[in-house]
Amino acid sequence: MNILKQGLLASVLSLPALAFAVATPGEAAPEFSEVDAKGKMHSLADYKGDWLVLEWFNKDCPYVRKHYGSGNMQSLQETYTGKDVKWLTVISSAEGKQGYLQPVEAQNQAKIHNLNASAPFLLDPDGDMGRAYGAKTTPHMFIINPEGEVVYAGAIDDNSSANPDVIPESKNYVAAALDAAMAGKPVEEASTQAYGCSVKY
Amino acid sequence: MLKQWTLALALLLCTGQALAQATASGDHVTVRWLAPEALAAKESQPLGFYFEVDPEWHVYWRNAGDSGAAPRFDMAVQGAEAGPIQWPYPQRLPIEHLTNLGYEGNVAYLFNLAPEAGAESVELTVDLEWLVCKVDCIPGFGKMNLNLPVEPEARWQESERERLNTFAARVPRSAEASPWQAASLLTGSNNALWLHLQGEGDAPQVFPLDGALLGAGKPDIEPAEGGYRYRFERQPGAALPATTGFVIAQGGSAWELPAVALGSQAPQQGQAQALWLLLLAAFAGGLILNLMPCVFPVLSIKLFGLINSGASGGARTREGLLYSSGVLVTFAALGALLLALRAGGAAIGWGFQLQSPAVVLALIVLFWLMALAFSGVFEFGHKLMSLAGNASGGSFVTGVLAVFVAAPCTGPFMGAALGAAAILPAASAMAIFLGLGAGLAAPFLLLTLSPALLSRLPRPGPWMDRLRQFFAFPLYATVIWLAWVLGRLLGDSGWLIACALALWLTFCLWLGGQSGRAWRFIGTGAAAAGLIAAFAYLPAAGDANSATAGQSLWQGYDRARIERALAERRPVFIDYTAAWCITCQVNKKLVLDTAHTSELFAKHNVLAIRADWTRHDPAITEALAELGRNSVPVYAWYAPGTDTPKLLPQLLQERMMTELFQPPSGDQ
Repeated sequence: MNILKQGLLASVLSLPALAFAVATPGEAAPEFSEVDAKGKMHSLADYKGDWLVLEWFNKDCPYVRKHYGSGNMQSLQETYTGKDVKWLTVISSAEGKQGYLQPVEAQNQAKIHNLNASAPFLLDPDGDMGRAYGAKTTPHMFIINPEGEVVYAGAIDDNSSANPDVIPESKNYVAAALDAAMAGKPVEEASTQAYGCSVKY
Repeated sequence: MLKQWTLALALLLCTGQALAQATASGDHVTVRWLAPEALAAKESQPLGFYFEVDPEWHVYWRNAGDSGAAPRFDMAVQGAEAGPIQWPYPQRLPIEHLTNLGYEGNVAYLFNLAPEAGAESVELTVDLEWLVCKVDCIPGFGKMNLNLPVEPEARWQESERERLNTFAARVPRSAEASPWQAASLLTGSNNALWLHLQGEGDAPQVFPLDGALLGAGKPDIEPAEGGYRYRFERQPGAALPATTGFVIAQGGSAWELPAVALGSQAPQQGQAQALWLLLLAAFAGGLILNLMPCVFPVLSIKLFGLINSGASGGARTREGLLYSSGVLVTFAALGALLLALRAGGAAIGWGFQLQSPAVVLALIVLFWLMALAFSGVFEFGHKLMSLAGNASGGSFVTGVLAVFVAAPCTGPFMGAALGAAAILPAASAMAIFLGLGAGLAAPFLLLTLSPALLSRLPRPGPWMDRLRQFFAFPLYATVIWLAWVLGRLLGDSGWLIACALALWLTFCLWLGGQSGRAWRFIGTGAAAAGLIAAFAYLPAAGDANSATAGQSLWQGYDRARIERALAERRPVFIDYTAAWCITCQVNKKLVLDTAHTSELFAKHNVLAIRADWTRHDPAITEALAELGRNSVPVYAWYAPGTDTPKLLPQLLQERMMTELFQPPSGDQ
């Protein structure tokens, strides 16, 4: 009897009623449909056939400032949009929380920040897209391949310091993943722990 | 350097004594040393960085959780050796649906410092970086230094020492001291990792060390044998390491389990009894294996040989011991193989021998030749007799053979024992394998050891020819069954290969049986050519996929479909089966594929899943592992609205199926 009990106890199958399917490397990317600061709608289907980078942004987060103040993020955007990669920078801050921007302000901030993305900030004030992707921090980075699968989710690089001086010796995970994936090679580190400020849902 | 000295000198002058307290500060945070006035020589002693943090603001633990960042301490020490930072256990800080791990309010990060022999003073310099958050986050940077004299005894300000001790008490202690031990860490469905802790009392708090692997959110906790089970969320797409660490906190103390192996169970004293019971079960399972339809023919061959030999007591004992050692050596070898593959991280199932077409075909040939010999088609003579008969190697080989054909027919006890073996430490797992072997060997050994029992066996006589001929029929039946298994593995060509080879070998026997040495050579050569051709053709035939038969009621294994049905509160019945598992076929014929069960399932809208493991489907291997099993049959029943399966016995009865749909009785 004890043995049967043990066998049953060894079973670890337990299924929550509904899985919270966030963006997972190797799986299909969650759908999204959000407007950008100029009112244009963007959805995942629009980017079928393209490499797509998603970046979560909050202008007042020190870690975002680390990468924008140093020009690191803009040059990354420039490099890869130059290779026909599409890039969307998403703001999921709720109204009244840090980093929330009205469309007009967002257009201004895009200019101030020298944003080199494919659209002026995607605005997600209800946090739908952020939750669907499991975006936890700013900056949190995702790469989606032309088939619509997530190939990378995590931090921008391997140094969680807020100090921009560490950027030159940091390993940029996004660049490494894009270079490997676009060359048809497997991505060595497809999932890393994102660092930074929490997304202000 | 000069600047630092000036600063240190200035501080010395300011305080007027050896206690130099440089501080660093930023928004909402002030950092200072937590240090004695003088260090003790020749002693490793704790010091700290004391963070005074504004109310409601927080700083972070070593694993910061879903966001945030741990503080960084870049230390340069002269005149002493400094140890790594020691992190008091944290608290969970929820922010919307995210969770951080850190400290609200003041905290001290500690480290040990051991002055070098002969050092008169120690100089410490630290480059600090921290992040302080309420909802918004503010990074802080600073540089502090400290110069401490070294004296025979340490001198502390009492209040400072008490403050240090408060936080030192919260630094995790070693795993050996922990009242909670990890029994297992297993992957579950829906991205879960289950940590099973055993110990006394209420459930402690558990914090994962690796934020890249596990989410920081509060785990679901449920009571489990000897303790609790914690369900952690695995980070999407995170690779599974061999081990990962946890910190356990309870009653103001904490312990660190630095390396809990994934998919394994740590040894502990409390488990001794459980292991003993498992061994007993393994032995019992081994005994039952003797009665299994796929073992009995082999035993009958051997027993027949034993009776035939009319051997003396000593010779019989030798036979018995040889057979037992054959069984045990094979079980040990299989156990070692399973452990090696398990260590390699491969998902491996028991019964895998019969998942290889080459092994199945080899067994078909062996049983076919034996059956023909028993029927008297050719003289068993001194050739095959030496394989399975009464030559000394023969008993050993019979023991080996018995294990191989027994493996897939797991008896009622064997499943649980093997499931445990797959997650137990290597030594215990091996003990279970040997227990199974001992059980399998015991009846035979007993029969050979005890002349009283043996004397009850009938005396040799003319009846033996009839008996021998009779024993051919279970062998023929086994050949049919094996040919069917091969058919399931390879599709229609499996049948064709097996039957053609059997026919060819029979023809070769007839050829070789003609008088004259030349004919014997031709027969042997032709048989060898046929065998080589058949085995060479096997892999090619394997490419043709066999369709899994699906009657309308039973669906193929599809995890997404099962999870969908469970989410809809639809009952689910999963039949984990394989063509080579006879128990499975019996249950299927007598219980599952009956009008009675079909009606019941249809009436209650049951999703009936047939998880066919004949070809060792990795998804099914994984599902079985989650149930703690690695053999079939397994019958998992999910009552409507439940998500934990009830496992049915391995020998089904129609009554059990009816009972599934009756309201639970009082004792549930």
